[in-house]
Amino acid sequence: MLRNIKPKNARSKRALDARLPKDIEDPRTTVFVRGTHTGQVLNDVMRDLMALKRPHAISFSKKNDIHPFDTASTSTASLEFWANKNDASMFVIGQTTKKRPNGLTLVRMFDNRVLDMLEVGVESFVSMADIKTPKSTPGHKPLMHFASDLFDTNPRFAQLKSMLIALFNGEVIDSICLAGLEYVISVSLGPSVPAPATMYPNLVKEEDLSSLPTIHLRSYTTRLLASGTKIPRVELTPMGPSLDMRLRRHTPPDPELLKLALKTPKLKKTDIEKGLGKKRKNIEVDEMGDLRGQIHVGKQDLGKLQTRKMKGLKGGDGAVEEQEGPDGEEEEEEEQDGQQRKKRRRQST
Amino acid sequence: MDVSGIIASNAAKYAAITVEKETPLDVDAGLLLVTDLNPIDEESYAANLEDHLQSLARDGAQALLAALFALPTTRSDDGPLAQLPPPTTALPRAKPLPKPKPPTKWEQFAAAKGIQHKVRDKREWDEERQEWVNRWGRDGKNRRFEEQWITEVPANADVDFDPRKEARDERKARVAKNEKQRLGNAARAAGGTGKKGEDGEPRPRDARKQQIERTLATSRISTASMGKFDRKLDGEKKVRGVKRKFDPTERPLSDEKDASLALISRMGSDAKKSRRDPAAAPDDEPMLNVRKAVRFASKGRGGVALGRAAAGGRGRGGGRGRGGGRGGKR
Repeated sequence: MLRNIKPKNARSKRALDARLPKDIEDPRTTVFVRGTHTGQVLNDVMRDLMALKRPHAISFSKKNDIHPFDTASTSTASLEFWANKNDASMFVIGQTTKKRPNGLTLVRMFDNRVLDMLEVGVESFVSMADIKTPKSTPGHKPLMHFASDLFDTNPRFAQLKSMLIALFNGEVIDSICLAGLEYVISVSLGPSVPAPATMYPNLVKEEDLSSLPTIHLRSYTTRLLASGTKIPRVELTPMGPSLDMRLRRHTPPDPELLKLALKTPKLKKTDIEKGLGKKRKNIEVDEMGDLRGQIHVGKQDLGKLQTRKMKGLKGGDGAVEEQEGPDGEEEEEEEQDGQQRKKRRRQST
Repeated sequence: MDVSGIIASNAAKYAAITVEKETPLDVDAGLLLVTDLNPIDEESYAANLEDHLQSLARDGAQALLAALFALPTTRSDDGPLAQLPPPTTALPRAKPLPKPKPPTKWEQFAAAKGIQHKVRDKREWDEERQEWVNRWGRDGKNRRFEEQWITEVPANADVDFDPRKEARDERKARVAKNEKQRLGNAARAAGGTGKKGEDGEPRPRDARKQQIERTLATSRISTASMGKFDRKLDGEKKVRGVKRKFDPTERPLSDEKDASLALISRMGSDAKKSRRDPAAAPDDEPMLNVRKAVRFASKGRGGVALGRAAAGGRGRGGGRGRGGGRGGKR
């Protein structure tokens, strides 16, 4: 573990404070690590992915003896150390072997611990430099596009989707400049192949990697053309890199750790008043942009209504308090009887 | 008037910017993300892969941009800024949620008393100089009594009364007090909010508090009624789990006989009174407390004086009390 550093001046204190957990997080700093053997293809892939990821990318360009899926090795400890040292929360590791050529491993961290890992094999690659088209400005946020039903149904592809969003677009922002939407990263799958029918379906391994479709990652620059309406028409131009990949090994996230990682900050009071998180009732903005509220008053009790006061109706000694409908006369008679009784009583005493 | 041409051109315009799919596209504007959950069309995939992928991506981008351009915007120097809604896709965080800062002693007090937090400006208006000056720090106003060139001295002041030093000491004392309080708050925060410190042991202050509470609880139940009729103090907690136990009204005769015999035997014996048996005492602990015996025999003057007295006559006058007593220790 790293030693606990105590800042000696204001600048280093600011640097350390910037590393503390935040409610709204910065984009994940990604370390691109070369394994013991990386071919030309993997080097180019990593260089291009890094170009997309800049400025939140760090390159480890020397050879590193790292094998994340090998539990016997100290790779996990290495990853945790690097994450702590570089304040990085994601790794892209390239490693090519005879058994698994051109393997690209994505590792996601939580709290400087490994959350989940995913390996893909690069099958074909066209670099950014090979496609002679204008490129996007570095540091701009991409639009992300995922196309296949498997991203919803298959947990392996759901993990891939989550991982790629975290890699390219995981930052939460509150506003974006519409003119700066320059490129799209599109991830699409091949047609889903139904698993080959066998006589013994129980014997088939759960993860038959050959039945999983190819992943096509493409990036395009956008051209926004006037359409005559407020919304422009989009035309795309290939920008590169273009990758065709296949899923390989993976490690699902530890449920306990994932639960911690998925916690969301409590909404602030001002946000709730603005209507975030909760449904705003009885308030609406009309077409003119005016805020309109609707007030619900309770049911009115007409019995307690204060009517006009009249002198004659005021309660006195012999006076009648109220006259209501047909019962009024009877009450009056009773009242008079009562009076007489009282008088009688007074006389007797 | 024939408007069919206008309608047709309008429809063509909208056709270019709307995306019709079997399953509507799932747009998460907060993350600039669109997911197309329609199954992949095998024919177009097989026919021309790149065109197929690009048309899919165009549809997705068009749907996403339509959602983004429909958002409310604010102006900026670089063009309109779309106000994004919070993302709907749950992504794991990179670091845990920040822990709330433990409140300082003052903040606790202010919360209990309902004192509102007031932000005090760092600068203060100086009437003489007619400008804003810092409260503290460079040219701070808290040093004005130290720096003014003439100071009123109280009539009863000492000869060596230095008003500058007085003001400076007062300011330094305030700073020291603040620092002490800050350290106290930091120590309290480091100890955590629970009763136990970081090492799992209760902190000294809490240990003392627990012991006092235990003693208090014991003393409260030490009356015959176990504290039932005692006067209660304000805010005193009820001691729980305390019950009087009574012997049953009917007991076998043998029990009563045993109890009485035990009492009689205790009365007769000297078990409580008897001192320790000298023979049973361990060797390293002598029966006689030598220091006490010497002090007693020499009447507090110590062993040397005793020796001298034993040798014959008084050696030195005085030497009574403590001075001689020192010799007793050797």
